[in-house]
Amino acid sequence: MIQKKICLVGVYATGKTSLVRQFVYSKFTDKYHSTVGVKIDRKEVVIPSGAVNLVLWDLEGRDGHGDVRPSYLRGASGIIYVADGTRPGTFEQIFELRALAEKTIGTVPSVFAINKADLTDEWQVTDSQIAALDASKWHALRTSAKTGEGVEATFQWLTEAMVVGGKA
Amino acid sequence: MTIGAPGWTLDVFGMSDVGKERSRNEDHFLVATLNRALDLRYSNMEGSNALDRFNAVAAHLLVVADGVGGVAGGDLASGSAVAALADYLGPTSGCCYAFDPDQEHEFIEKLEGAAALADQRVREHSPSGKGPATTLTMLLLLGDRAYSVHVGDSRGYHYRAPRLRQFTRDQTMGELMVDEGVMTEEQADKAGLQNVLSGALGNMYTPEVGLLDLDAGDAVVLCTDGLTKHVSDEEIQEVVASEASAQVAVERLVQAALDGGGSDNITVIVARAAPEAA
Repeated sequence: MIQKKICLVGVYATGKTSLVRQFVYSKFTDKYHSTVGVKIDRKEVVIPSGAVNLVLWDLEGRDGHGDVRPSYLRGASGIIYVADGTRPGTFEQIFELRALAEKTIGTVPSVFAINKADLTDEWQVTDSQIAALDASKWHALRTSAKTGEGVEATFQWLTEAMVVGGKA
Repeated sequence: MTIGAPGWTLDVFGMSDVGKERSRNEDHFLVATLNRALDLRYSNMEGSNALDRFNAVAAHLLVVADGVGGVAGGDLASGSAVAALADYLGPTSGCCYAFDPDQEHEFIEKLEGAAALADQRVREHSPSGKGPATTLTMLLLLGDRAYSVHVGDSRGYHYRAPRLRQFTRDQTMGELMVDEGVMTEEQADKAGLQNVLSGALGNMYTPEVGLLDLDAGDAVVLCTDGLTKHVSDEEIQEVVASEASAQVAVERLVQAALDGGGSDNITVIVARAAPEAA
């Protein structure tokens, strides 16, 4: 079976671990656990061309103490950049993190997951900002690790992009 | 014990104490190095010193396990699990030396395989499925990368100045209830569920797999709950931050747990990536 490594990258507390938990275990918790280093999970995904074993690397988020370690990105076939739609600063830092990743491993298929879409009252990312991402050929999705909105679609799209190609 | 590793020297020490209230120690631990097979003793071959590279350290293995089951043989469970890891990883140490970063997934699968074998060995002591079980927290250090496999409520901490952080999550019924939103942490504490395992080898378990890269000056601590019942994260951090010697840090931590009551067996490993002298 084809195996692909996906890294989840973003600022701390944007919901990277929760997205993996929702995708792999269909579970969500409000309790926050910060990831130290990398947590690894697996899930098999079926796309039209066959089954793919995804190896999900949930990377420790960037915070005031340290940046994303480039060594963790090595060998990744795809990246999910995760921002928190209620914290505009996390959105802006994704562009820096993408530059870091591209410098490290080159251009690989990627998705921009704008997470916490369930927090509608606090949501601060405008539709025009999301449209601007699409215009720059960066696939962006609203996601909610809590409700599951956009989660399956995020991983499914990226899997097809990695295997079939033609999407970056 | 001070052993060599790329970029820094690993200073590592471990010890286990029965504590003040238990009659026997159901914890086991292991600190080992995986070496290449050839151990050059004497030779008149030209350039024989070059052969000594075959005796270089390939990896370091650190394990703590806390058996549960009382008279049913918690010590047997933790001992079997640790021995199984040594059995599995010893003969495959070549995979550490021939490690291919592009095949890292396969390497991680091997570590999960080691945990699966340990689970199988523990179950051999429990034909009815109601026998002893054990926690397991394992680190395999290969170069500057530490791979972890964790089951149960023993803990792994990573220290990078100035802060100590737990890189494992406690697999307890209390954590599970809180995660599921069924209880608050206070309710889980009150119900005593923070001490009830939700995952253990020999029982139902889902290994938590991860990794972290170490820098010079970093340290890792592996311990059973005999330490963390009596010594706070802040106290562990203070000891690790202030003691340059792994052995002294371990001895201080074990003593702190004893001074705090020593209600359980106490096992601690400290490994420090000590900067090499210029």
